Amino acid sequence: MNDQLNRRLAFLGVLIVGLFAALFARAWYLQVLNSEELADQAFSNHVEIVVTQPTRGRILDRHGVVLADNIRTGVVTVNQSRYAPGQVDYVLEELSELIDIPVEVLSSRLLDQQTHPLAAKVVATGLDEYGLLRVSEQSLPGVEAKWAMSRVYPQNEIGAHVIGYVGAMSQGQEDRLLKKDYLPSERVGKSGIEQIFEADLHGYPGRTELEVDSTGRVHRIVNQTNPKPGSDVYLTIDADLQAATESYLRQGLIAARKTVSEDSGFFYPSIGGAAVVMDLRNGDVLAMASHPTYDPNWLVGGITTLEYQSVFENPYAPGALNNRAVQGLYSPGSVFKLVTALAGLEARLISPRAAYYDVGYFKIPDKYGCTGRCTFYNADKAPLGVVDLSSAITRSSDAYFYKVAHDLYWIRGEEQWAIQDMAQLLGFGNQTGIQLPFEKSGRVGDGQIKEALFEANPDAYNPYGESVQWLPGDNINTGIGQGFVSVTPIQLANAYAAFANGGTLFSPNIVESVVSRTEAQFGSSVIDFEPRIQRLAEFPEGSGIVREGLHGVSSKSRRGTAWRAFEGYDAAGYAIAGKTGTAQAEGRNPVLQRKKEDSAVFVAWAPRHDPRYVVAVVMEEAGFGGEAAAPVARRIFEALRAYEQRWPDPQVAFIAPRPECPEIPEALRGYEAFTSYVPEGCPWGIQVPRANSPGDVDGDGIPDLEERDQ
Amino acid sequence: MNLPLRKELRSPLRYADYSLGAAAILLSAIGVGLNYSSTWRGLEFNGQDPLTYVKRQIIFVALGIAVMIAATFLDYRLYRDFANQAYLLVMLALVGVLFFGVERNGARAWYELPGLTFQIQPAEFAKVAVVIALAAFVANHDGHLRLVTLSNAYLMLAVPLGLIYLQPDLGTMLVFVAIGMGVLLVSGAQLKHIFVTSLLGVIVVVGMFNSDNLGGPALLRQTQEQRLTAFLDPGFDVQGASYNINQSQIAIGAGGISGQGWLQGTQTNLNLVPEQETDFIFTALGEEFGFIGVSVLLLLYAYMLARIWFITRASNDLFGTFACVGALSMFTFQIFQNVGMTMGIMPITGIPLPFLSHGGSSTVVAFGLVGLVINISARKHLT
Repeated sequence: MNDQLNRRLAFLGVLIVGLFAALFARAWYLQVLNSEELADQAFSNHVEIVVTQPTRGRILDRHGVVLADNIRTGVVTVNQSRYAPGQVDYVLEELSELIDIPVEVLSSRLLDQQTHPLAAKVVATGLDEYGLLRVSEQSLPGVEAKWAMSRVYPQNEIGAHVIGYVGAMSQGQEDRLLKKDYLPSERVGKSGIEQIFEADLHGYPGRTELEVDSTGRVHRIVNQTNPKPGSDVYLTIDADLQAATESYLRQGLIAARKTVSEDSGFFYPSIGGAAVVMDLRNGDVLAMASHPTYDPNWLVGGITTLEYQSVFENPYAPGALNNRAVQGLYSPGSVFKLVTALAGLEARLISPRAAYYDVGYFKIPDKYGCTGRCTFYNADKAPLGVVDLSSAITRSSDAYFYKVAHDLYWIRGEEQWAIQDMAQLLGFGNQTGIQLPFEKSGRVGDGQIKEALFEANPDAYNPYGESVQWLPGDNINTGIGQGFVSVTPIQLANAYAAFANGGTLFSPNIVESVVSRTEAQFGSSVIDFEPRIQRLAEFPEGSGIVREGLHGVSSKSRRGTAWRAFEGYDAAGYAIAGKTGTAQAEGRNPVLQRKKEDSAVFVAWAPRHDPRYVVAVVMEEAGFGGEAAAPVARRIFEALRAYEQRWPDPQVAFIAPRPECPEIPEALRGYEAFTSYVPEGCPWGIQVPRANSPGDVDGDGIPDLEERDQ
Repeated sequence: MNLPLRKELRSPLRYADYSLGAAAILLSAIGVGLNYSSTWRGLEFNGQDPLTYVKRQIIFVALGIAVMIAATFLDYRLYRDFANQAYLLVMLALVGVLFFGVERNGARAWYELPGLTFQIQPAEFAKVAVVIALAAFVANHDGHLRLVTLSNAYLMLAVPLGLIYLQPDLGTMLVFVAIGMGVLLVSGAQLKHIFVTSLLGVIVVVGMFNSDNLGGPALLRQTQEQRLTAFLDPGFDVQGASYNINQSQIAIGAGGISGQGWLQGTQTNLNLVPEQETDFIFTALGEEFGFIGVSVLLLLYAYMLARIWFITRASNDLFGTFACVGALSMFTFQIFQNVGMTMGIMPITGIPLPFLSHGGSSTVVAFGLVGLVINISARKHLT
């Protein structure tokens, strides 16, 4: 019996040893073998990361006028994915009574296209505290009333295409940006400066790591980094000039719609256009207009499908979102004769003063064995009589340049492509490098391009099976800016700027500087865009005659093509030099179902002998350059003169480059960290003019009249 | 010169196993430390005294030590005579708790006495009573249990099991099963009888689980069943039934080899492991002291169990032997079940870890049983 007891007791002992071995083994497995993984889980268990959205940087014009800002606004969102069918109607009815917005409007905003279908939709913005309280008090299901920072464009459509707009992230952006701590609800730059400078404008989000217990209560802050506000972007645009440019372009287009085309007998559709104002001494873009335009505020708060379609898919105002100044490709027309003239001079083919008898057309001489089209007519088959290089430009003789281009074709050797080379030299066929997205490079046709186009898409380019060889006719068309030439308005302005300033081809700047607003380097420039010189061109002997020809374009006595537009223009000290163009557009107008009307083009600089500004205007299907585009340019020049008086020229009168008192955004005022940046006696948020008043051009505070006395 | 006394006349204190008492006191000291680390943060956060639980536990431990000493001095053979009375008394208490007890966490298992900040759990005291009564019963039959007497022993177990089932408290029921199995296994009962009755027991248990499927009434609550089976598949319903298992394993694993340091464990501090000052107190040790701390604790327990095992062998008295076996079974089961539960190799049942878990009844009972074993060790040379 005792043996049996001892045996069973021993068995019990072995059992206990076995159980403890199991416990040790399990502890080893958890604490030694799997420790790392479980420690990670323990970390994510108790640490909650809160991402704080940084304040987006502003966009300002060159003188500090705010073009894009942030405001705190009360918003009401409705998350309809949480509703049972039918419940949404009840909620919207209640909401409609609370915030006094019709139910139809609310439900139409629920159909907003800009955000994810399942995300909460913003149905009302701009509420004050009381509005928010009224809504949150009711605690309607799925309805949230809260403060939100919202992008606002105080100048509305002024500079819309340059500034761009912000919107909900696209799928591709979401994958990329969420890794950079963007919040899913955040709006990101979708075009223009907002898009290009997204990284600078956005800033760095703040991260707070909170230690949270099982019931969600916060115990302590493990780690905290404050959000760094995004940098401000200062444009080279002047808001007033921009507004004037846009307004004149729009007025010009409307006026063109009231004129009848001689070709078709219909009114010009005059659907859109672009205008660029550039400082030709440093490549700063002062204004850039594109029509049709839009108000970027529409796209921030959310937009219904109907609204979107009516604005952005309107066939009568196509491509409202496109910035035609850098994205629009146009045949330059006669404006391109500058290139042909310079190419002819370069190839020593033109004797500038040699007389040429313009009979209204140019016929390829029989000895060249012409195939295809052999006779090329002037615009209205009008014979201009005797012209030389200067008057051929002034009066826009096509026949003269047909001959130049034709003769250039037959020069064998490197000068055969003189037109194309000169165009390249002036920046055509390449992106200018302006800080705007989706810039087109255009093209200057030569043998390779023609061949490539014809072979790639014979139906569109070569329906009649013409030769893929570069023919004399192709060169002739190119010589007057038709055929295989397409340019953007910014290229036109830039090329004329290079010619006017004596050969410096800039990469135009539309951004002056990016100025930090972070605590550490408040007010200092992160990026400064100095004038960027692409190349220095040397123009051939005789280019003075070309200049002379361009001078005459607004002259009645010299029968310039734009004289009528500049009749009564106060040319004193502000005379212009330029070139009109009337470009045949290819294809049919998709809405009107008839052949496209001519596009009006005008490029000019002023003052004539001390060139400072260049203006390029392109108007689609609006008629003659001298009749439609030149009046627009004239009014822009008049606005420019006023602009120069308002902001005396920095090269004439020195201006302190930075304001004395930095402007502190309202949200940051009162922070000790920022007070050190503000000199004593400097009021918060007061805008100190960047340039000085006319009475005190050097900006030292002493009126000039008194200074002279000293 | 001192004459050698006869063994019987020597003071029992000379033979008493003091190291067992020392081990128990050391364990309860660790317990007090862990009570603090698992409650201070939450109490402080709520603006209460962070020492609230520690103070109470120190009182329990002091009470337990007093009980242990008292249990040591009174000759244990006297207990044999009062075994039946004690058993009856406790059974009455278990019946009474069903009517007069207070309900906590869905179980009616506690007496609330006026003027006391803590409650009394009669089921804990029933463990001692059952150990003594069962040991007395087996000893009365000279360790020879035939089928009829075995059935009687089962009946002795069945009464408290049934009463606790009505509370209900599944974990404590299992402790009684463990005590019974241990004592009956070591006793002279024939293995085939034990085997057959165990099989019956298994069938009953399985029947309980599936009674609702078989058309009968649901005998186990949904939550009980889920918690019991969750350890088989911890991925299931993370925030629900298996939440405890996952969180306690994460806490223990996060401790690594050397632990995160006392009061530094995030799982423990932030109350991510439920019931961490009572049933899941082992997780606090695992997280803050790591594998080293776990090893020290388990070795301390192992030492204690080894001492009890040796005293069991050394005892000349059948009652003493079986009382020791009962205590051994109880401690072994509670330790293995509790620690195994926190590490995910046993199902979740509410069983305290002896000496460590916060609680008056369990601490006093554990000390009392250790006192009984020391008592037996002191008088093993007698009879």
